[in-house]
Amino acid sequence: MDNFVTLHKRNGLLEISLRGNWVFTNVAVLQEALDEIVPEPGTEVHFACGGIDDFDLAGAWVLFEKSLDFEDIEIKTEFKGFKASHFKFLQHIIDIAAQKEYVPGYFDPKPNHWVQDGVRKVGSNTIDAVDSVGYIARSVLDGIKRPSRLVIGEIIRQVFATGTQAIPIVMVVCFLMGVVLAFQSARQLEQFGANIFMVDLVANSIFRELGVLLAAIMVAGRSGSAFAAALGTMKLTEEIDALRVLGLNPNEVLIIPRVIGLMIALPLLTVFANIAGLLGGAFIGAVVLDINWFAFTERLAGAVQVSDVMVGLSKAPVFAFLIAVTGTLRGMQVSGSAEELGRLTTVAVVQSIFLIIVADSIFTVLYSRIGF
Amino acid sequence: MPSEYEHIIRIRGLVNRFGTQTVHDQLELDVRRDEILGVVGGSGTGKSVLLRSILGLHGPNEGSIEVLGQTIRHLEPGPHKRWGVLFQGGALLSGLTVQENVELPIALHSDLPVETRRELAVLKIFMVGLDLTAAAKYPNELSGGMRKRASLARALALEPKVLFLDEPTAGLDPISATEFDRLLKYLHANLDLTIVMITHDVDTLFSVCDRVAVLVNKGIIVDTLDELVKHPDPWIQEYFGDPRAVRARKAANAKVEI
Repeated sequence: MDNFVTLHKRNGLLEISLRGNWVFTNVAVLQEALDEIVPEPGTEVHFACGGIDDFDLAGAWVLFEKSLDFEDIEIKTEFKGFKASHFKFLQHIIDIAAQKEYVPGYFDPKPNHWVQDGVRKVGSNTIDAVDSVGYIARSVLDGIKRPSRLVIGEIIRQVFATGTQAIPIVMVVCFLMGVVLAFQSARQLEQFGANIFMVDLVANSIFRELGVLLAAIMVAGRSGSAFAAALGTMKLTEEIDALRVLGLNPNEVLIIPRVIGLMIALPLLTVFANIAGLLGGAFIGAVVLDINWFAFTERLAGAVQVSDVMVGLSKAPVFAFLIAVTGTLRGMQVSGSAEELGRLTTVAVVQSIFLIIVADSIFTVLYSRIGF
Repeated sequence: MPSEYEHIIRIRGLVNRFGTQTVHDQLELDVRRDEILGVVGGSGTGKSVLLRSILGLHGPNEGSIEVLGQTIRHLEPGPHKRWGVLFQGGALLSGLTVQENVELPIALHSDLPVETRRELAVLKIFMVGLDLTAAAKYPNELSGGMRKRASLARALALEPKVLFLDEPTAGLDPISATEFDRLLKYLHANLDLTIVMITHDVDTLFSVCDRVAVLVNKGIIVDTLDELVKHPDPWIQEYFGDPRAVRARKAANAKVEI
C-alpha cells in the first residue's frame, strides 16, 4: 500500500505523492491504495506524480478515474510533477473520456424470451426444411429430365465416401448386434428348449429393423456430420459464394450429389449390414448354442420371406434422404463463426438420428397395418 | 524500469528447413527498444516462418531466439503478458463480441474485478478508434478495417512492450490503410512500444518504419531505408526501384519537408 501512495496534509490541502510502477499488473493494488484515501470535504487534492517509475495507460486510467470520483464529491484535483511522456497518457485518457458517451443499459444482460424465441425457431426451421426438401425434389426431377445436369462423377465419389468406406465399421457393428441378439434370445428360449427359434428372432429383427437402423445411425454419425462440416466450412470460406458467382448452383453441385449418392449407398450398405448381423447370429449359434451352420441356414430359409428383407431395404432410401437433407441443410445454415459450425454439425447428427427413429416407427406401424 | 536485456528481440543462428528446402540459414537479428521494424521479402523467403518462430509457434531446426530477455521455446509459454500479436486475418475469436475478445486476455492474466476489466477493455477499444456500437458486435459483423482495429485492441490489452503485426494494412483500402498507419504511429509515440511488422505496403514502410529488415538469400539485411535504397543486392534494388516504392518514398520525403 505505502509502496505507491504517501499522504501529506497541510491546511486545506491534501498532497498525494505517487511512487512505484503504475502499470497494468498493479491495477488492483493501485485501486485499493487510492480507495483508502478519503479527503475531507472542501479540501483540495494534489497528485504529485514525480516519483512514478513506470506508467502505462491502465495506471493512468486508475488515476484519472479517481480524480473524477473526487470531483463528484466537489473536491478539486490537480496533477503535478509529471514527466512529459506521462502527461501524454493522461491527456489521452481525458480525450477518450470526452468522446465516450454513456450508453444506458449497454452492459445489462439481454432479456430472454424463451417461448417467443422457441416458437420463432421452430417456425423458421420448418420453413427452411420444407424449402430445402422442395428445392431438392425439383432439382432431382430436373436431373431426371436432363441427366446431363447431374454431376455423375461427384455422385459416384459420394457413394464411395459414404458407402464403400463405411462397410467395415457397419459390418462390425452389425456382427456384434447379431451376437448380442443371439445370446439374449437364446437365454429366453432355452427355458422352453426351443433354442433353434433363436434363428427366427435374429433373422427377423436384423432384416426388418436392426440392419437398416444400425447402418443408418452409423451413416448419420459418419456422413451426416461430414456433410454439415464440409458445407459449413465452405460457407465460412466463401467457397459457396464463389460457386454462385461462377454461375454454378451450389445446390446442384454440392447438395444433389450428396443426397443421391447417399440414397444409393445406404440400401447397399444395408445389405452388408444384414449379412454381418446374420453371421453374428450364426457364429454364436455354432460356437455356443450347438446350432451348426447347416441347421442355421435350413431354419433361416423357413424363418424369413423375401418380403421381410424388402421391408428393411425399403426404409433405407428414406433414411438416407433424411440424413443427407438434414446434414446439408444444417451445413448451409452455418454463418459467421467457427462455433456455429460446431453447433450445427452436432444438430445435424442429433436431428438425423431422431428423424430416422421417428420414420422407423411410422414405417413399423404402417407395415403392420397393411400386413406387410 | 531497468532493463536486464539489451535488445527487445535477439535471434542467433536461426535455421529453418522444410524438407530439403532451407528457408533461413544462420539468420541473426537484433530489434532495438522503441523502434518500428518493418520486415519485407519476396514470397517464399520465410517472413511468416520468422514471425512464427519468434512467437514460438514454429520450432526452428537450429538457433536461439530471445524476446524481452526470455528464451523462446516451441509451443511453450513465452512472455505472454508483455507481447501483443496482430494476426493477418485478425484472428478474433468468432464466438465472442469485440468487447469480450479484448477482455479475454485481461481476464486470463489478472484477477481484476469484472467492472475494471470492462472499463480497461473499453478504454483499449476507444484507443484504436472504435466505439461502443462496434464493441458489442461479433467479428463477422465488422468490416475488414474494423476487424484489424479490434484485433489491435486485443493485442494492446495487456500493455505489451512489443507488438507484432502481420500485414496490418493488407486488404484495407488506401484511406483505411493510411489511418491505420497513423494509428500505429500515434500508439508508438504515446506508449513505450517496440513494433515489428511484416508488410508489403511500401507506403507503410516509408511512412512508419524506423528500420527495415529485408529477407534475402536465406539471411536478413537490416538498415534504415535511406541506406537500404543504396544496397547492391539485386532483389532490394528491384524492390525499391519499383515505381510504387519510388512514389511512396517521394511522398514520405515530401511529408518530412512540410
